[in-house]
Amino acid sequence: MVNETDPAIGATETLVVEAKEAVRHRAPSRVQRVGDHVKREWQLYLMLLPTVIWLLVFLYKPMYGLQVAFKDYSIFRGVAGSPWIGFEHFETLFGNDQFLRALKNTVIMSFYTLLFGFPMPIILALMFNEVLNATFRKTAQTIVYLPHFISSVIIAGIVITAFSPSAGIVNTVMGWFGIDPIYFLTKPEWFRPIFVGTGIWQESGFQSIVYLAAIAGVSPTLYESAVIDGASRWQMMWKITIPSIMSTIIIMLIIRIGNILEVSFEMIILLYQPATYETADVVNTFIYRQGIQAGQYDFAAAAGLFNAVVAFVLVMAANTLSKRYSRTSLW
Amino acid sequence: MSGVVLQKIAKAYGDIPVVHGIDLEVREKEFVVLVGPSGCGKSTTLRMIAGLEEISDGELSIDGRHMNRVAPKDRDVAMVFQNYALYPHLDVAENIAFGLRIRKESKEAIAAAVEEVSGILGLTDYLERRPADLSGGQRQRVAMGRAIVRRPKVFLFDEPLSNLDAKLRTQMRAEIKRLHKRLGVTSIYVTHDQVEAMTLADRIVVMRDGRIEQVGTPMELFNNPVSIFVAGFLGSPPMNMVAARVNAGGDVPVAEFSGQSLPLARLPALLEADGREVVLGIRPEFVAVADDGVPGRIVIETDLVETLGSEALIHAMLDDKPFVIRAQTMNMAIGQTQVLGDVSGFTIDPKLVRVFDADTGRALPGQDIV
Repeated sequence: MVNETDPAIGATETLVVEAKEAVRHRAPSRVQRVGDHVKREWQLYLMLLPTVIWLLVFLYKPMYGLQVAFKDYSIFRGVAGSPWIGFEHFETLFGNDQFLRALKNTVIMSFYTLLFGFPMPIILALMFNEVLNATFRKTAQTIVYLPHFISSVIIAGIVITAFSPSAGIVNTVMGWFGIDPIYFLTKPEWFRPIFVGTGIWQESGFQSIVYLAAIAGVSPTLYESAVIDGASRWQMMWKITIPSIMSTIIIMLIIRIGNILEVSFEMIILLYQPATYETADVVNTFIYRQGIQAGQYDFAAAAGLFNAVVAFVLVMAANTLSKRYSRTSLW
Repeated sequence: MSGVVLQKIAKAYGDIPVVHGIDLEVREKEFVVLVGPSGCGKSTTLRMIAGLEEISDGELSIDGRHMNRVAPKDRDVAMVFQNYALYPHLDVAENIAFGLRIRKESKEAIAAAVEEVSGILGLTDYLERRPADLSGGQRQRVAMGRAIVRRPKVFLFDEPLSNLDAKLRTQMRAEIKRLHKRLGVTSIYVTHDQVEAMTLADRIVVMRDGRIEQVGTPMELFNNPVSIFVAGFLGSPPMNMVAARVNAGGDVPVAEFSGQSLPLARLPALLEADGREVVLGIRPEFVAVADDGVPGRIVIETDLVETLGSEALIHAMLDDKPFVIRAQTMNMAIGQTQVLGDVSGFTIDPKLVRVFDADTGRALPGQDIV
């Protein structure tokens, strides 16, 4: 009961009321702010939901299974029931010649793909940008985009046919110059060039779209100003276009570095054979053979986890370096 | 002589003409402003002079040389763009030096030129900054630096102050004027802002629908607009327009509207215009507030007064149309400006009333204030 006559009690009452008011008016917490935002923009969050569910189901839930890399996994005991064995699979992995060979092949093929495949879409986009005839440009673009939409199986079929020693176009042309047929797809030394070349042919056109979009965003007045200053088209390309799309190039490079160990698995499976394992077998095909074909899920999971950790470290390092030296970063 | 001569210059995009054969001579060291509403062809004309747009017809010469087929780089012009056109990946010094580098000038010459230009424009402390780290005014100065560093024969400005706020625009306007005085380079400046046109120009070219409406000094255009369009375009607030009929039956011609009559100058053209429908152009500055009983007084209904400090704008209605009077308040006591709300009439010197033909919109001849 409030004592209205006692000034001390009255003052306390006032303080309590003020404190309650202050609590009511204090800045909302982060959770509250997010909650308010979700309430206000619920339509946007609703649109985001399918992607979040997809990520949770296909990318986060499977992470639970990663623990088998540290267990003696048995499908009868399940993931939870299998006993822990620490880093035993990793020790076996690094003592396995096939894995080390696959790792070496992965790094080499990724390096070649990055070296030759990464600049190609940029070059294509720059070339398209220089083509003044709109009809020719659109036709050329359609032609180079097409291989992306063809299934890997068909692409592999085309490659196998093209390099066939009996009726392949490559050997036929070589025959015109008196060169004996080469069994390209059975020769380990030819696998990497064919694989890298096929990848470039299939994806460069489509990947160039990103750079074309970036080029479209460059202000035309930069070119007009350069024209008045006397710049040639070549100079404009080097001094305006490329620097202007550099942030896009760097972002794409970071993403590519993150996927450096993700060599096109399907294409290798479709093109390689035991005769070319020496240069064609990569980590992913190794995991496929060990995990799916040989049923060593725990061992394959260890190889896969290693792959993922390396990719994570690479993408973090690339992003940090890019942020430091070019002020551009993925996050 | 670094003049620019346009003879019957025309531009069409396919079948759509946008500039209809304009003639203009910009004299050496002159500062000419092309002004007009959006789509009037002023920027297209400037871009044809720069070589960024092909000339469909007519002849362009700069410094006496025929330029129609000459590449932009060989026209010896420099252009300042509305959005500055600064290279975001280059710092201020590199931006200024860009044109010189392209022309393969020596490193020493480039360094000296950049130093000189940055000194002129007050950019010395910002040479290592990138455009993103500069204010709007600083960016505009860099854009001008890039233009002047090449010492071209002609400067072309395409609405260079449009992206700046009002205060900065006023400041940069003065800087451009000062720069022109200092360098004395022939300049052609495009704007839709009549204040910029009036303050910067030696001569103004008013354009409308791809044609030149009038060319003249700012005061010529202000005092003697050839058409209702020019009269309404130049001046702030713009000229008041009052529809009337001329009655030249008395000693002096008068303009009659809504039961009132305004004496006009005794000019032959006005005497001949007896009975014709006209539009009276009355500058807000030329009007004198008049109390009841003053001869020739026109009655208005005041509804709003905007006090601007040294002057006030009296917004009134005349013949059911808005009518603005600019009144000086410098010599009025602070409380006295309130009486402007009671203004109920005005008079004007008949010589200062501009009479336009209501059908053609053109000024009747022989009225020019000399």
